[in-house]
Amino acid sequence: MEVDPSLIKGLTIGLGAIGPAVGIGLIGAAVVGAVGRNPEIQGKILATAFIMVGLVDAVFAFVLLILFTTS
Amino acid sequence: MISLPMATEALAAEKLFDLGPLPVTNSMIFGVIIAAALLTIFGLAARSSQLWPKSRVAYWFETVTELIKGMVVDTFGGDEKRALRHFPLLITLFVFILTCNLSGLLPGVGTITYNDTPLFRAWTTDLNSTLAMATLALATVHIYALKEIGARGYFRHFFSGNLKNPMNIFIGLNELFGEILRLVTLSLRLFGVIYGGEALLSAISVLAGNFGWAATLPIMFLEIFVAFVQAYLFMMLTASYLVMAVSHGSEESETHVVQPAGAKG
Repeated sequence: MEVDPSLIKGLTIGLGAIGPAVGIGLIGAAVVGAVGRNPEIQGKILATAFIMVGLVDAVFAFVLLILFTTS
Repeated sequence: MISLPMATEALAAEKLFDLGPLPVTNSMIFGVIIAAALLTIFGLAARSSQLWPKSRVAYWFETVTELIKGMVVDTFGGDEKRALRHFPLLITLFVFILTCNLSGLLPGVGTITYNDTPLFRAWTTDLNSTLAMATLALATVHIYALKEIGARGYFRHFFSGNLKNPMNIFIGLNELFGEILRLVTLSLRLFGVIYGGEALLSAISVLAGNFGWAATLPIMFLEIFVAFVQAYLFMMLTASYLVMAVSHGSEESETHVVQPAGAKG
């Protein structure tokens, strides 16, 4: 059976985006909640949030890496 | 059949010429150029730095340095003496990685070719260089831990509790494995994000055809954001590894005062 490589690429990026998207959504929800509860340490919360976003972002970067380096 | 465009960049950095037994790649050349430029500009700023800075360069660089110092001291739980001991390494990592990440977006990088190989390539889009930086950072962490808590404390950091219990041995082996995994994640994250971003840029510009300049603009802004986040992340993770390396295992040694670890991430 011949599978169109475009289909595989589309599935790779589509399925690979689910996890990081959910993760960043959870981080965003948690940050909004935390800042709403104690706005005076907003800077610290945002710093931690950016670290977490970076960690989650890396997963999607691996998906892109695999997507663009395979033919 | 429609096929998506391949990234124009190769996964590995291309060799330009040999310097004795050492193959010199395009990312090495660009990294050295960036390092020299940074050293020059920071040296200039340091030379014109004074109590009441009149030079604008000195003013801006002092502001940046002060900002990063605040973040590092926060990570070390407010212990300024210990934070300042590691501050040179951390700020070097941050500034160098940030500049290298952003340098990949400059016009001419990857497009100026010499004998059909790109002459320049961002330093952080090469796995060798990110692995080298991660090795340097983690070697610093371990040497610092050995110096601070001694060989026994260092050993107890991994194998804590009663060693007759096989569970503790297993946990210790897991910790050791995690140490190796740190090296892999630290290097692969930086490389993957920056390289993936550049591959995304080239793929989008091929897809958009004549309107590549407009289509890549939002991705550019995303890349600038990601460059900042990744540089910050690398510095902060190194800092929190430094904090964590001495925060455990030192319960046994009475001489060492344990600071509350403000480790994040």
